Amino acid sequence: MGNLLEFSHVGHEGSGDRAGTEKPTREVTDIALGTLVRRSEEVLDSWDRQKIVDALVRETFVDQDTAEAISLEVEEMILVSRISMVTAPLIRELVDAKLIERGLEQARRMHTRLGVPLYDVEQMIVQPNKENANVPHGPEATNLTLAESIKKEYGLLNVFSPEVGDAHMRGDIHLHDLGFIDRPYCSGQSLEYLKKFGLNLPNSLAMAKPAKHAEVLLAHMVKFAAALQGNFAGAIGWDAVNLFFAPYLEGLDDRAVEQLAQMMIFEFSQQAVARGGQAIFTDVNLYWEVPKHFEDVPAIGPGGSYTGKTYAEYEKEAQRFVWKLFEVYKKGDGAGRPFFFPKPLVHITEKFFKTPGHQAFLNHICDVASDKGNTYFVFDRGETAKISECCRLSFKLERSDLEDAKQPWKMRYCALQNVTLNLPRLAYRAKGDDTQLFAKIGELIEITIKAHRQKREFITRLVSHKSSGPLSLLNMNLDGSPYLRMHRCTYLIGMVGMNELIQYHTGEEMHGSAEAMKFGLKVIAYMKLLADQCSRKYNMRFVLEQTPAESTAYRFAKLDLKYFPKESSSVVKGDQSAGEIYYTNSTLFNVGASMNPVERVKLEGRFHPLIEAGALTHVWLGESKPPAESLANFVVKTFQRTKNDQIAFSPEFTTCKGCGKISRGLREACPWCGSEDVDGITRITGYFTRVSSWNRGKLGELKDRYRNQGHFTRPLTPERSDGGRVGR
Amino acid sequence: MTLFTKSLCSACQEIQKDFDLKTLGVEVEELGPDNPDALAHLAWHELVEIAEKSLPILVLNDLSAIADTDAIKNYLAERITRH
Repeated sequence: MGNLLEFSHVGHEGSGDRAGTEKPTREVTDIALGTLVRRSEEVLDSWDRQKIVDALVRETFVDQDTAEAISLEVEEMILVSRISMVTAPLIRELVDAKLIERGLEQARRMHTRLGVPLYDVEQMIVQPNKENANVPHGPEATNLTLAESIKKEYGLLNVFSPEVGDAHMRGDIHLHDLGFIDRPYCSGQSLEYLKKFGLNLPNSLAMAKPAKHAEVLLAHMVKFAAALQGNFAGAIGWDAVNLFFAPYLEGLDDRAVEQLAQMMIFEFSQQAVARGGQAIFTDVNLYWEVPKHFEDVPAIGPGGSYTGKTYAEYEKEAQRFVWKLFEVYKKGDGAGRPFFFPKPLVHITEKFFKTPGHQAFLNHICDVASDKGNTYFVFDRGETAKISECCRLSFKLERSDLEDAKQPWKMRYCALQNVTLNLPRLAYRAKGDDTQLFAKIGELIEITIKAHRQKREFITRLVSHKSSGPLSLLNMNLDGSPYLRMHRCTYLIGMVGMNELIQYHTGEEMHGSAEAMKFGLKVIAYMKLLADQCSRKYNMRFVLEQTPAESTAYRFAKLDLKYFPKESSSVVKGDQSAGEIYYTNSTLFNVGASMNPVERVKLEGRFHPLIEAGALTHVWLGESKPPAESLANFVVKTFQRTKNDQIAFSPEFTTCKGCGKISRGLREACPWCGSEDVDGITRITGYFTRVSSWNRGKLGELKDRYRNQGHFTRPLTPERSDGGRVGR
Repeated sequence: MTLFTKSLCSACQEIQKDFDLKTLGVEVEELGPDNPDALAHLAWHELVEIAEKSLPILVLNDLSAIADTDAIKNYLAERITRH
């Protein structure tokens, strides 16, 4: 497996040499006796030249004679070098060198050994990996990083074409989660699947029937989420969680419902024992009202049986549960810190405002947003319905999805892959020429589409192995369809650095003028039209998404400073001398621009209808703690007067490792005990985490963030509608 | 003023046939797969979602918009009368 050359036969008699070369100074039998091969299967074998021949013939298109000749040359090299112990990787490298000498590049590629240098392994074991702030440092994390590094190489060499792989390596695009190449990107689903079919996983040692009690349903949910995390690279989202739990809550008193809410949040937030020691990146979609598409759906209750009622009749129970969930969020963990997961995404719809009690609930969740920052506000205007997850990803429900909603266990969504475009680099290459710029966007989208088609082909191959394959869980078809419905997958096209593209191309940042922003809209409109065109052409669903870009914004900036130093140095954000550099994420405005948050939400929101798979505006609060009513007012205005898709308010905290207490704001020392052994907590991109785990780019961004301190204590200023000059 | 239209929209064609839009100071922007400018302009006016459901849309000089065909016709007819 790991060792592609198998030196298992001792004392092979083949000698021979290449025509015209001298015989080795030692006989092959001497080598067999004296030279040992250290194999990755943890055994020492004697030298066997035939294994080189076998591997070349098996793994490449090299003919037998060439393989023989190469094996003899390699044997001779080893003999001459008088090495007494060679490793399988070394032999493979020597063989590869011979392939290069013969111009057999394709064969060399096929014969490549994937591995990690000794130095890198040492670094991985000792130093934390900051690519993803949700991965703690520990042996499990090291395993994850090591496995990811091999799979990344595998993906770049074997799944994607050289054109796509090179575009990623150069930094023209970013292929997300390459280390999870053999999985789809992320998944959104319904609890109804578990309620109806129980926890019945293909590789599980035991099958559980549908839950009869709320606590058991929760246990099924957590375990299924962990299983899904092993089959998807990214977030695991759950639709209408409070509503689907509701039939299990009838007859429970408030204390019991509170206990269940507490269990749910602690179970997900303390799951730091799963993949790589990571907590499962979980999102729970929540509603105050019963969403229109679930109103008449027959409810499934304990034991997987229909209760005889529709979900519309469970509004009160659903409301009781979601209220309790936010009480738990408000209290925070045992030390009063905000919970990182599950992320609560509250949908604000037209019906929300017609549902009794909505104002009190809005104040309640805004209180949590102000105090702990957890609440995400997802705006579903008009007839729009969606399920959200990840840092901002949304699956907009199409007609077929709304048809599925009548049997909600069928509702499951998957984005198969995310590919992000390095936008500023396109501007550098276009040198101020609009025609060139749009042509280059087109070329890069074309490569992106190729990347998606190649990944689809690979996953289709894995899925075709059905129940005996690596993705057997995604092949389970308890409801008559495979869990992963390939024909319904979406393919994400992300973007990083729109602000810097505009800045370089027009001379102004996006918040600098209406003209600059209009040009940004044109770029996104062009990308959307190309994505739509390709969707029709390939019968695949390509959609734009604001990439979370936790590390991509840093990676692109770093690569551009290397390859385009003259052009990029004037627009890359952050502290270049400290290496804390970044591009502004997706279509966001400069994070440091001192804009009124109302304006920011409104103007950034103009991009959102074009970015179908999800967009978000951050409102950084710093250490301020605005009144809940003020935030509630802001949320209502955002819904009514803007096209913004989603907003989140992000306060900052300091947690003390000495006394364990938490304080507001990012501080050098604990205000309670004076200890300097402190860590910050705030939202990195789309989730809360500890600042010490952030990459340097994000640290740079954190320093630049404009905190809307004090803004919400004043009456809100009316939003601008003239689109005139805004910002500084 | 800007009138957002689409090529296969009969109501859009009707308005373009019935009124001398140029004289009325109305610019026509035809939405389509090859016109990112029109889509960007639509997004600037926060009308993308409305346009998905209903066209034509007339954006007035005060930046308000009319998305109902009959209302657009009435408005344009009134403008002719006024002038």
